[in-house]
Amino acid sequence: MRVLIANRGEIAVRIIRACREMGLSTVAVYSDCDRDARHVRDADIAVRIGANDARSSYLDIDGILRAARASNADAVHPGYGFLAENAAFATACDAAGLTFIGPSADAIALMGSKTAARTAAKTAGVPVVPGTEAPLPAGADAGEVARAAEAVGFPLMVKAVAGGGGKGMRVVESASGLLTAVQTARSEAGSAFGDTAVYLERRLTRPRHIEIQLLGDHHGTIVPFVERECSIQRRHQKVVEESPSLAVTQPLRERMAAAAAAVAKSVGYTNAGTIEFLLDEDGSFYFLEMNTRLQVEHPVTEMVSDVDLVQWQIRIARGEQLDLDPVRALTPNGHAIECRIYAEDPDQGFMPSPGLIRGLRAATGPGVRDDGGVVAGYTVPVFYDSMIAKLIAWAPNRSEAVARMARALAEYQVLGIRTTLPFFLWLLRQPEYLDGRYDTTYLDRVLAERRGESFSSFSTGEMETIAIAAALDTVLRGAADDADRRSARSPSAWTQLARVEALRG
Amino acid sequence: MTFEVEAGGRTFTVAVERTDRPGRFRVTLDGVPRLLDVSRSGDFGLSLLDMGTAAIADGTGPISAIAAAPVATSADLQVVPGVGHGDLLVGLRGRTIGVTVNGRRSAHAEAALHGHGQVTIVAPMPGRVVRVLVANGDQVDVRQPVVVVEAMKMENELRAPRAGHVKEIAVAPGTSVEAGRVLAVIE
Repeated sequence: MRVLIANRGEIAVRIIRACREMGLSTVAVYSDCDRDARHVRDADIAVRIGANDARSSYLDIDGILRAARASNADAVHPGYGFLAENAAFATACDAAGLTFIGPSADAIALMGSKTAARTAAKTAGVPVVPGTEAPLPAGADAGEVARAAEAVGFPLMVKAVAGGGGKGMRVVESASGLLTAVQTARSEAGSAFGDTAVYLERRLTRPRHIEIQLLGDHHGTIVPFVERECSIQRRHQKVVEESPSLAVTQPLRERMAAAAAAVAKSVGYTNAGTIEFLLDEDGSFYFLEMNTRLQVEHPVTEMVSDVDLVQWQIRIARGEQLDLDPVRALTPNGHAIECRIYAEDPDQGFMPSPGLIRGLRAATGPGVRDDGGVVAGYTVPVFYDSMIAKLIAWAPNRSEAVARMARALAEYQVLGIRTTLPFFLWLLRQPEYLDGRYDTTYLDRVLAERRGESFSSFSTGEMETIAIAAALDTVLRGAADDADRRSARSPSAWTQLARVEALRG
Repeated sequence: MTFEVEAGGRTFTVAVERTDRPGRFRVTLDGVPRLLDVSRSGDFGLSLLDMGTAAIADGTGPISAIAAAPVATSADLQVVPGVGHGDLLVGLRGRTIGVTVNGRRSAHAEAALHGHGQVTIVAPMPGRVVRVLVANGDQVDVRQPVVVVEAMKMENELRAPRAGHVKEIAVAPGTSVEAGRVLAVIE
């Protein structure tokens, strides 16, 4: 079997790893600026698919199918993002005789519409967050939008019907900000998903974002896993995830898992998928949406369940039967945390920081997993998402996992661009994080209170060390420059080379 | 050689003298001398073994003779050249700080800090202007969002580095901008 990975970055590298372990051949696709990317280096075969703009490359269905034909691929793994939740792509793969490693096109189409997915959940007997039943009409005037909002109640969320990854989503506290929010969400949704449809949903005050990963095979078996806690979010984008959640007891875990499985079963779901829930302070939970793909944060589930989700995706796509113990799948083994390392400058409001990676040393050691997507010498492009790696730490319990993550973060070196590493080191010292006293509003709230203060704080001793290092670096570099100048004047380069050769004997 | 090193709003005076042993330096920080062993790794790695003040004998005799193998504090740093001359980015245990060696702050940074003259808001990366949130002549507060630039699939709010009024808006929604392009001027 030869698998084409219709993606880039860390997830392409992750899928190549799974294929290698299964003895499968891999095909990478790349845009011009990704010629030097790690996934291109790691794959067996690489095919250029187009220009830098994602629409001309990673979102170009015809281009990817041509690459699959040219490379004799049998299967396509879409990763996450790009075409992963594009039903037309799944259909096109089927039509081209390629095995799509993911759910059916019908399941993608159904759950891809957030409004249709809400209806499916209600039908399966799972509560949903109160909101509009249908998308707001495209030409809805101010009055119509206001009436829909009144019915839902404030505060509310404007969300893209085709949404995901926090894009095309806006919080509205009161009627005054409503129209602007609808407009912004529409424009962001249009550029991110090519679909400007939005709907309204009530905003719970202090919810946690808890999600259930599941696998479904083609023989009717659905296996849900221990929950992931994803409440640490900045602007609705997850930045730290963990498993299990401190807020979930075993009975609650079993109820959420059963609800997730019921929704998946009701739509005949196959392959890997995730049901997202909001967990309210009173312990009640509501269906939020289903992600019909592998998720960014899948490694934390893998670490506490000892299951390779990507390998299972491939096995399910080949028609194999799930033989996992469902009780074991709902019993966490230890605790895992993931930090998403972005090429962003946390000290400049998390502004993107693309550019040349001049040096890279990933963290390693006991209980540490680096799902990296870049190499030194690679230029992080401006065209795609800014995530360059995911760092995952596992330990027998949460406090040891936090300590291990802090250790690994301090080891991780990315030179030449700014990253969110210092931000995570700061977060892991916050009492709310350490005690697990947080919800989805926590991070934005504390970030606003900081008013831009730097995340890289140093002790007096460390500041002195830094000053000394800067002075010594200047001296050493100056000496190196002098040496270069001297050698330029001295015996010719050929004479020197002859001497070196003579010394080698 | 003596350097003025500025980092995190503090200035250190650092004097560096070579000793008769390669890689070993006598470094005087704000008047206090200490002995350091320095080793490079790769282009940017710098390992410092700080043997402290005790290793220095009253300023007499060759330093290598007095500190053969003392116990040292170890620090592994990454020193990467920054944008301007004399600007460095220094990394230590997962955190990063901008450092200036013998440098004068740029006029831009000076104005931003002390609130005199004009400051410009420039695009930190290539992208597309999505929205302009202020108009010519508007009064803005420090950190008030001024222009929204879309890059790397996110809308990024560029904020006023200090309070003032808007002297110029140099772009309009839809403008594609290169890194460094001036977007607005605050006075």
